[in-house]
Amino acid sequence: MRSQTFLRNSLRHSAALRALLRAILFFVLLIVGSPSPSVAQQESCVTCHQALEGRLAAPVKGMDADVHAKRGLSCSSCHGGDPKRIGMDAMDPRAGYLGTPKPSEVPAFCGRCHSDPAYMRRYNPRIRTDQVAEYRTSVHGQRLVRGDTKVATCTSCHGVHPVRAVSDPRSPVYATNIPTTCGRCHADPAYMKGYGIPTDQLAKYKRSIHGEALLQRGNRLAPACNGCHGNHGAVPPGVESVANVCSVCHSATRDLFVKSPHKVAFDRMGLPECSTCHGNHEVARPTDEMIGTGPEAFCTRCHEPGSKGLAAAQAMRASLEALKSRLAEAETLVAKAANAGVEMSDARLTLQEAQTRLIQARNVIHSFNPKQVEAVTTEGLKFAEKGVAAGKAGLAEVQFRRRGLSIALVILVGTAILLFLKAREIERQKM
Amino acid sequence: MESAERRITRRTFLDYLLGAGLLGLAGIVLYPLTRYLIPPKVTEVTGGSVIAAKVGELAPNSGKIFPFGGKPAILINTPDGQLRAFTAVCTHLACTVQYRPDLAHIWCACHDGHYDLRGQVISGPPPRPLEEYQVTVKGDNIIVSRKG
Repeated sequence: MRSQTFLRNSLRHSAALRALLRAILFFVLLIVGSPSPSVAQQESCVTCHQALEGRLAAPVKGMDADVHAKRGLSCSSCHGGDPKRIGMDAMDPRAGYLGTPKPSEVPAFCGRCHSDPAYMRRYNPRIRTDQVAEYRTSVHGQRLVRGDTKVATCTSCHGVHPVRAVSDPRSPVYATNIPTTCGRCHADPAYMKGYGIPTDQLAKYKRSIHGEALLQRGNRLAPACNGCHGNHGAVPPGVESVANVCSVCHSATRDLFVKSPHKVAFDRMGLPECSTCHGNHEVARPTDEMIGTGPEAFCTRCHEPGSKGLAAAQAMRASLEALKSRLAEAETLVAKAANAGVEMSDARLTLQEAQTRLIQARNVIHSFNPKQVEAVTTEGLKFAEKGVAAGKAGLAEVQFRRRGLSIALVILVGTAILLFLKAREIERQKM
Repeated sequence: MESAERRITRRTFLDYLLGAGLLGLAGIVLYPLTRYLIPPKVTEVTGGSVIAAKVGELAPNSGKIFPFGGKPAILINTPDGQLRAFTAVCTHLACTVQYRPDLAHIWCACHDGHYDLRGQVISGPPPRPLEEYQVTVKGDNIIVSRKG
């Protein structure tokens, strides 16, 4: 009995002591801390956490750049609790305090607002609200459900305290930052150990034509990881969808390929369409050497020497080379004439047309039909011939001008000599 | 008598030569002058503006390629009758773009790049919009110039 009374008294005293300590802590922090003017008046969270150190202070420091804070949301908007209460009382679960979500809880935590169209419309009528639903279909989302907490959740990619707008170049999910953001896990062999997938994708992507366009030339329309894998619903594209994914940008190439004999053959062999020749993460700048029978040609990987396929490849390559060679000749002639001062803008326009046909022909290769390629290169050759003729005419004009100048000089000198002789004769007659 | 004839002959010969020389001199002055006054065969020279078409030459929902600064440019009469001009060099791999009346926008045949009537990329691989030029109508001429 005595012991129960003692325990009750002790608990009462310790509760009173805790309340006293909280009050002291709050007032000390109120004096020491200099709260941010935006939310400080309403939020005891800021007042307390700002005066703390390390990971407990980090959320407040980061909130200045947070897109949510900029829209007037505060700590309690996400984490719950009652920020009007002082000290630890603010974090009362009965006041709706949720605290820091576990990794497995993050999608649902963010989805409370981000999956609510009516709520999100108040801030951005155009924002999508299906991210969590998409996430659940992703490899990340599926593994998370199965208890793998190493996988990416919302905050892994978007960051936290601050969460920056996607349009902010400092955001980890800004177009040019996406490869590095994905690579933080996917290029880390130690982190990815046990998943059985390569970790060289980022390095390969950086060497690819897409990586060059995005990371070196800053072309934000160039595909990053999410361009092919999706973002919230990230999965590796299946064999059957590779061509569809590539055709988001390369639709003309896809249209040619689906009508080609390769489409049937690739389907039968279960080969992904574009990536079989072009690769996936390390898509290199295509070259003419890729077609034909040379050492860099892809055709020889499947087609036997002397086969119909290799003959077609050779024919297509020959068409390209014929146009390239004539175009190069025309360009040299036109450049020479232009350097010699002949007006060649019309010829340059003609060469532009020939160049256009050459680029078109390179794309038409994906029909794998030599006649289709030849039809385009023949058109290009006509323009190249015009260019050659214009270049030759330009150079003939240069020769004509040079001859004219020589004749003019001879006439000038000759006339001067004759005038001298005439003058001398007139002098003699006077004598 | 013989020496007098010979002297006359030499003088006459000298006069002829001098006359021919002066004639040639006139030729070398007049020929460049004439070439300067006759318009050259080329339709366009590099410069800040060019006559792209005559008024009424382009029906609504059609386009015309013309040379501008040594490169192709495209003049468009939009379906609602507005004249607009852009560079006709695709920002992807520098093919010449064209106007597609069936789509009512600009299209690049090489890799299926699509641009709207403001030159902005709609779809396909082009990384940037087409540069837009200034279009002014002076009398019968539609003049295209670079935007200042």
